[in-house]
Amino acid sequence: MNLGLALRTATAFMVLVLLHYTLRPMLGWRAPLDFLVVAVLLVAVRVRPGLAALIGCATGLASDSVTPSAFGAGALALTSVAFGASWLKAVFFADNLFLNGLFFFLGKWTFDVVRLFAERRLRGVELVMETLVWSPLSAALTALAGVLLLVVLRPLLRSSNA
Amino acid sequence: MARAARSGTRTDVALFVISGFLALLALVLPANLREAAAAGLRRSVVAPFVALQRRAEMSRTALVTQDERRTHTDSIALRALSAPAIESENARLRRLLGLGQRLQYGFIAAEAIHAGPSREEYTLTLTAGARAGVRPFSPVVAADGLVGMVQTVDPTMSLAIVWSHPDFRVSATTVDGSAFGIIAAHLGSGADRYLLELRGVPFRNELTPGTLVVSSGLGGVYPEGIPIGTVLRELRTTEGWARTYLVRPAVVPSEVAAVMILRPQRASAGVRSVWSSVASADSAARGVVAAADSIVADSLRAIAARQRAAAARAAQAAAAAAAARGDTTAAGAGPAPGASTRPPAARPAPRPAARPAAPRTDSAAAAAPRPATPPATPPAAPPSVPSAPDTAARPPR
Repeated sequence: MNLGLALRTATAFMVLVLLHYTLRPMLGWRAPLDFLVVAVLLVAVRVRPGLAALIGCATGLASDSVTPSAFGAGALALTSVAFGASWLKAVFFADNLFLNGLFFFLGKWTFDVVRLFAERRLRGVELVMETLVWSPLSAALTALAGVLLLVVLRPLLRSSNA
Repeated sequence: MARAARSGTRTDVALFVISGFLALLALVLPANLREAAAAGLRRSVVAPFVALQRRAEMSRTALVTQDERRTHTDSIALRALSAPAIESENARLRRLLGLGQRLQYGFIAAEAIHAGPSREEYTLTLTAGARAGVRPFSPVVAADGLVGMVQTVDPTMSLAIVWSHPDFRVSATTVDGSAFGIIAAHLGSGADRYLLELRGVPFRNELTPGTLVVSSGLGGVYPEGIPIGTVLRELRTTEGWARTYLVRPAVVPSEVAAVMILRPQRASAGVRSVWSSVASADSAARGVVAAADSIVADSLRAIAARQRAAAARAAQAAAAAAAARGDTTAAGAGPAPGASTRPPAARPAPRPAARPAAPRTDSAAAAAPRPATPPATPPAAPPSVPSAPDTAARPPR
């Protein structure tokens, strides 16, 4: 990855992080969009798995700082998702919007499942509802938003595919 | 080979293990250390993002509360629009409540349902009927005065004609009793549509604008003292023997929402004291103006007293003759033995012959079935209403 591409990727990452802290609270949906997962996944597929894991861990710790009771849960989830995404992208990923959407969906759902089990906040029916209902719904919305953002940001990130 | 170069490096695995270890370490840290680490991040790296998130949440809250405030404001505006109507209705109901307290007994409260969308107020449907004790020809009053008379009674509702009905008549007098006449609907057009006429006032009785007109109690339907309206001006008529005055009604039928129906015993007991405050206020206001007519009023009162005395004497003579004849029929039809032993002086003075219950000079006669042929003898006139017109004999307009 050259310097220009790294800067553009960092810019896209910051834009998504800003969206996570501005647009998401404005929408206030019950199944929220997770721009942080999209940002980490976008970066993860463009760097090596080890660096992706580090970025995921740092981002997760930063996001967990506002929920001290579950401090580390998001970091663990994002680390896993980022490393897995980077590794999978390296193995068999293609530049296809549908596959990217599926990628975002699975990444977000995995992130939610790992975080929910790691923070041990919900139990029983609530955990099942959150895991099987709200998390997939949120993942679907996140995937949709991720695909749209990917289309918008494609000119910014095009050289990385070349 | 490329696959092995990218995914299988030990560096990547080591970094992943280190990251995972850090995350797990953060999870299992003691609460105080975890809070300290989180606070450090919140105050440094994450601080700008937290500030952004707070502003975004405030914006959302502002948007949500703006909608709620708009809804609240709209509801307040809607309530403010209906407030005058509610205040007006409250005032009407309070006045009606006051009327009920003054009447004390012998009345039936009812709601007035207006007939049609055209608001052509000839009749009112009242929400009280025979089961509540309503009888035909019962007077219908509101807090401000006379509304009309019950014409038809059903078990649960009744129909009343209001004063604007072409057949409505009521014997009326000024509040000081100086002039008598017959009140009827004016049946004019435009602004004069809902006004009344006081007809048959003796030519010598000149009424000033603002004079309060009340029911006289003659005719046997409407008790004495119910306000009917105030004199506006004199109408020019071709009649040379009497005056006709235009009267502004005390009650506007289209604004009547609740009424009181007077029971027969209440009507016969009189309601003069119910509206006495209105009457006294009017008398006080007109006292100076009416001073010039005091001689005429005194002479009228003297005539009325003489007629009452003559009627009392005639009644005593009739009773004495019946007793002398030993007429059982007359005795059976007369009062109870206990009552018959009362001395004549203790009995209430009978009404003068000029105030018969029949033929009626007011709406009762109009509402009653009209005879195929006019009565053979004209009805007797009240003392100060020479030859008051009978409603039944009134030609249709």
